[in-house]
Amino acid sequence: MNDDRPLILVVEDEPQIRRFVRAALEDEGCVVEAGSAAEALEAFTGPGPALAIIDLGLPDRDGVELIRELRTWTMLPVLVLSARSAEAEKVAALDAGADDYLTKPFGVEEMRARVRALLRRQKVGAGETVTEFGSIRVDRVHRSVTRDGIAIHLTPIEYRLLGALLTNAGRVMTHRQLLKDVWGAGYAERGHYLRIYIGHLRQKLEADPARPRYLLTETGVGYRFQFQDSAT
Amino acid sequence: MREFNPSRGIGDYFRAALACVATTLLTLPLLGVVDAANIVMIFLLVVALVAMWLGSGPAILAAFGGVALFDFFFVEPRFSMAVADAQYLITLAVMLTVALVIGQLAARLREKALLAARREDETRGLYDIAKELSGAIAADQVADIVHRFLNARLEIEAILYLPRANDTLVAFPAPRGGDQCQTHVRAVYEQGRPMHLVAEESGYAPALALPLISPVRTRGVLLVFADHAERVCATERRPLLDAVASLTAIAVERLHYGEVVQEVTLGMESERLRSALLSAVSHDLRTPLTVLVGLADALTLARPALPPSALDSAVAIRDQALRLSGLVHNLLDMARLQTGKIVLNREWQPLEEVVGSSLKAMAGMLVGRELRLDLAPDLPPLEFDAVLLERVFCNLLENAAKYAPQGDIVITARTAGEVVEVAVVDAGPGLPPNHEESVFDLFERGRHSGAGGGLGLAICRAIVEAHGGRIRAERRAEGGTRMVFTLPLGTPPVLEEEAGE
Repeated sequence: MNDDRPLILVVEDEPQIRRFVRAALEDEGCVVEAGSAAEALEAFTGPGPALAIIDLGLPDRDGVELIRELRTWTMLPVLVLSARSAEAEKVAALDAGADDYLTKPFGVEEMRARVRALLRRQKVGAGETVTEFGSIRVDRVHRSVTRDGIAIHLTPIEYRLLGALLTNAGRVMTHRQLLKDVWGAGYAERGHYLRIYIGHLRQKLEADPARPRYLLTETGVGYRFQFQDSAT
Repeated sequence: MREFNPSRGIGDYFRAALACVATTLLTLPLLGVVDAANIVMIFLLVVALVAMWLGSGPAILAAFGGVALFDFFFVEPRFSMAVADAQYLITLAVMLTVALVIGQLAARLREKALLAARREDETRGLYDIAKELSGAIAADQVADIVHRFLNARLEIEAILYLPRANDTLVAFPAPRGGDQCQTHVRAVYEQGRPMHLVAEESGYAPALALPLISPVRTRGVLLVFADHAERVCATERRPLLDAVASLTAIAVERLHYGEVVQEVTLGMESERLRSALLSAVSHDLRTPLTVLVGLADALTLARPALPPSALDSAVAIRDQALRLSGLVHNLLDMARLQTGKIVLNREWQPLEEVVGSSLKAMAGMLVGRELRLDLAPDLPPLEFDAVLLERVFCNLLENAAKYAPQGDIVITARTAGEVVEVAVVDAGPGLPPNHEESVFDLFERGRHSGAGGGLGLAICRAIVEAHGGRIRAERRAEGGTRMVFTLPLGTPPVLEEEAGE
């Protein structure tokens, strides 16, 4: 721990999973292992971790609850490990403040990419006024969107939606979070608004709207804006 | 229970006549001692008493009898019906009139008192049976209580018919000598209207079939048989019988809801157990698979790199573990779907989105394959569960990738009448003939033998059918297979217009 690599906290009750996660993340940071929620909280007494990987099925406490507690005093990026066909659990974890999730079983490269994206996101922050992806350029100050220098007209809602996704680039935003951010709290149950407007954005911004590269669907969970250079 | 009955027994008339004779005998010594007018008063008093004790008929007899006896024994000439003094005609006429009027008034008073007593008795009886019925916990208990009540209070026999699981009407208690009246009872049950049955129809005695009408629906039939006097249908008993029928209906309905609650509780309990079991199994299988995939993957990335043969093994271990994981997921999905209680999380959304996410999920398997999308541009949003429909697309794509190793894979979608028709088309060898239907059956292995190939397609069918759609496989004339499924169009919700657009 005497190097300057970021600390990565891995909260997972299965030692073999912790083992390969530790091995896989050698390059990204220094892994601190915790087998339970109690051990995870202890890990924050020293120099704080830069990122936490939390398995939702912990022996002593609900993983979602642990995330909620962490979020009361730290904004560190949280990557959740969860089962497939447990979309409700993922949504609950993301709504509680998690940033991203991985579905078990997962490949090492995929995990590394997610961890890198989250660590980088933390460094860069959301202070950028101009965002570029593909041939699209979004100027947040002048509220302009261009493709290859040609202006694209976005409606106010489309622009707000794009803004919400860009601000949280790399994070998975649940349907509820996006509806609340863009339409307001009263629209939390109107998922079809969100889906239709995402469709509009893809028509305007993606080269192949049916196979989006940036505005990605997390089926059953939400959406994610992904810069291609940070993905595998 | 004292029976109210306007038709008096012959004994009461005899008693009334006796009262008149006795009065005559007792008042005869007073003749000459008191005025005849006072003797008239005594006769009137007797008529009033007769009316109160014995009712209106005997009172009329007493009135006429009293006047006749008075005339015979007390009016000159005595021991003859003749009247010497015309004044006595007035006396006799007034006496008769007054006797009749007093008699009728007193008799009516008596009837009212009797009626009130009977009503009170009935009310108490109904209260008792209601109390008993509210404690009943089984249908035969209800039948027993009703039977005992009608038997003890009205001295009539009754049979309760209650519907059972397959909607047959079961008799409590089982009727003696077979169940001839089943068809009539069923008619009453279905129409919800009372019906009178003659002895031939009921197979025993004239009977009245009353539907047990509860607030929700008809809960059965109460069949009451006439007693020896065949008075079952007497109108004054109907309110009581109707009330008994209503109380029985409520008791039966309460039992029914009790059963429903029990069934639901049981169902929830077993459902809870099943899902607990499934999640335990899936957790126990997932953890070692995650370790296996992760460790094998870490090996392929180890530094210094492994020798090529070891590297190949590591890759193979990882791929097989992933495949096993896919199979486990399919098995668990099928187990969930087969419980028949899939909760669809349906939302209105463009089909294009779920096609895109499926392609992304299957990217690894489709490496090097040409995949074309041919989605009609005017497709409306559809209402579906995105997670489950993604399973359908992934399984169909996997199937196409596996069984058609070469050639394009095309996904098409277009509206066709009331549905949207979606197809995944491959250019493989095609299905063997006559497998177009069975390919979706559980554990059907399709074109060439491979492990567990059919599970994915069976899942597709379960999901599509849960959405109200159909799935089928077609052999293409030019070779290859076309897997087609439909989704109902429905009416998408209207989006509020965006202000300032």
